[in-house]
Amino acid sequence: MIRLDRVTKTFPGSTSPAVNELSFDVPEGEIVVLIGPSGCGKTTTLKMINRLVEPSGGTIEVAGQDITALEAHQLRRGIGYVIQQVGLFPHKTIAANIAVVPHLLGWDAARISARVEELVDLVELEPGMGDRYPSELSGGQRQRVGVARALAADPPVLLMDEPFGAVDPIVRSRLQDELLRLQAQVRKTIVFVTHDIDEAVKLGDRVALLNVGGILEQYSSPAAVLRDPANDFVADFLGTDRGLKRLSLLPISGVDLLPGPVVPPGATATEARSVMAEHGLDWFMVGEDGHISGWLSAEDLDGGRSPAELEMRPVRTILSPDSSLRDGLDAVVSSHTRAATVFDGDTYLGILTIDQISNEVLQ
Amino acid sequence: MILAQSAKDPLIRWDWVWDHTDDIAAATWEHLRLTAVAVGVGFVISMALSMIGLRFPKTYSPITWVTGVMYTIPSLALFAMLVPVTGLTFLTAEIGLVSYTLLILVRNITAGINGVPDEIREAALGMGYTPRKMFWEIEVPLAMPAIIAGLRIATVTTVGLVTITALITFGGLGSFIDSGLRRFFNTEIIVGVVLSVALAVVLDLAIVMIERWLTPWTRRRATAGN
Repeated sequence: MIRLDRVTKTFPGSTSPAVNELSFDVPEGEIVVLIGPSGCGKTTTLKMINRLVEPSGGTIEVAGQDITALEAHQLRRGIGYVIQQVGLFPHKTIAANIAVVPHLLGWDAARISARVEELVDLVELEPGMGDRYPSELSGGQRQRVGVARALAADPPVLLMDEPFGAVDPIVRSRLQDELLRLQAQVRKTIVFVTHDIDEAVKLGDRVALLNVGGILEQYSSPAAVLRDPANDFVADFLGTDRGLKRLSLLPISGVDLLPGPVVPPGATATEARSVMAEHGLDWFMVGEDGHISGWLSAEDLDGGRSPAELEMRPVRTILSPDSSLRDGLDAVVSSHTRAATVFDGDTYLGILTIDQISNEVLQ
Repeated sequence: MILAQSAKDPLIRWDWVWDHTDDIAAATWEHLRLTAVAVGVGFVISMALSMIGLRFPKTYSPITWVTGVMYTIPSLALFAMLVPVTGLTFLTAEIGLVSYTLLILVRNITAGINGVPDEIREAALGMGYTPRKMFWEIEVPLAMPAIIAGLRIATVTTVGLVTITALITFGGLGSFIDSGLRRFFNTEIIVGVVLSVALAVVLDLAIVMIERWLTPWTRRRATAGN
């Protein structure tokens, strides 16, 4: 959808290029994250796609068309653009801000107002907010308006320059989730610039790691980058907790769960002890046919009573197959039983332990 | 010449005022017209000069230098220089009045436009505004508070300066001051001074009202949660 071919940018008065012979393709409907240290040319690269920065060499195509074929302002009306400072127009109402590109494209008033309503709904703003001015909104709300404004004319391509860099971590995380939810609906081709590796891993279908001077060090899926960093630069940039970051990308459903120490409701204390011994654990669960009623520890049996006579402890650490292994690890290390139970809805699937998590990482 | 007023006369002779209401209304109207034309023409010229200065930054210094020199020429001297060329005409009066508005207006317009945050410009261009459309639809509206501040100063200054044009047979309310001074007649002086001050205050208030109407967004400040 977007193709950069040996794109170079040397700013006037500078001897070394800010971006040097950069080539990569952004497939349709994917989020590609450009990431790297300061001076790596990630923002320059982004701005070359909508010609806010004119390349010194190489070619850029959007949807098969060279971007220099159109007038710059016509090109930009077909590409959504979101920046960190949002850049809402303070003298226009929220509705008028969202309507900017449709207005520039000459849509009629009825079509514009219908579209604005649709977008206010899509980015989950309160319906009455259209009449307010940007100064009356919080940072998170403004950034949502910024996204709505970029989507207004339904452009196939969206450029986002550190869009969530200026909001606090809680709002940022929520906006990231909203972007993913939105993307599942609208399927845009998105180029996203950030310096936050966790954001890149969370949002990117692919990650382009750039080194100072606009040199592409690695271009793959976040999982592949974390598993096999191309070189020391990439490994350093990813940081020492690379393994943990990878866990956030791996779903529990990809792991072979252990059946776990489960005894039927009618089992005797002796039977329960032998199941625990078999699994090398000092606790067991009671249930059958995928339904677990609770768990007991070895000490609970010391009074000589059978499991059926004892009061069950409720299973608290529950994970779903969609949870990430990072959530799984968190559950395992904070559980007394050193294991997390995985359920698909009400159906028991098995248990997850630290051994399976590290096996998965080492694969 | 006979002194029109003795020491026993009151400060203001209301009978003179009632006898001359038509003259007073005509002079006030002339004052207003001289002011409005001067500020209007001055604004159009200043807008053009500001656009040149913003588009070609190297020209900004010469523009402010020339308008600055015009601003510092004593008004009496300026009219004295112009009369041999353009005569005792409305044009002469306006050339003088307009030239005094330029510096104030150019400075305020330029400062207002330059005060528009860069991210607003980046967003506008990134959305597909052409530079011209951005100037008129984004930069000028956002510079409006600074531009209007300039218009207020220019207007109040011009109302004062109009009285000087009495020397070249115009002057609006200034003609009462001029004639009052010649005749040592307090009433005329007071009428001229009070009404020109009142006119300045009224015009200033009118511009403030226009500003409030043009810039509704500057008065809304409240932030909801999230």
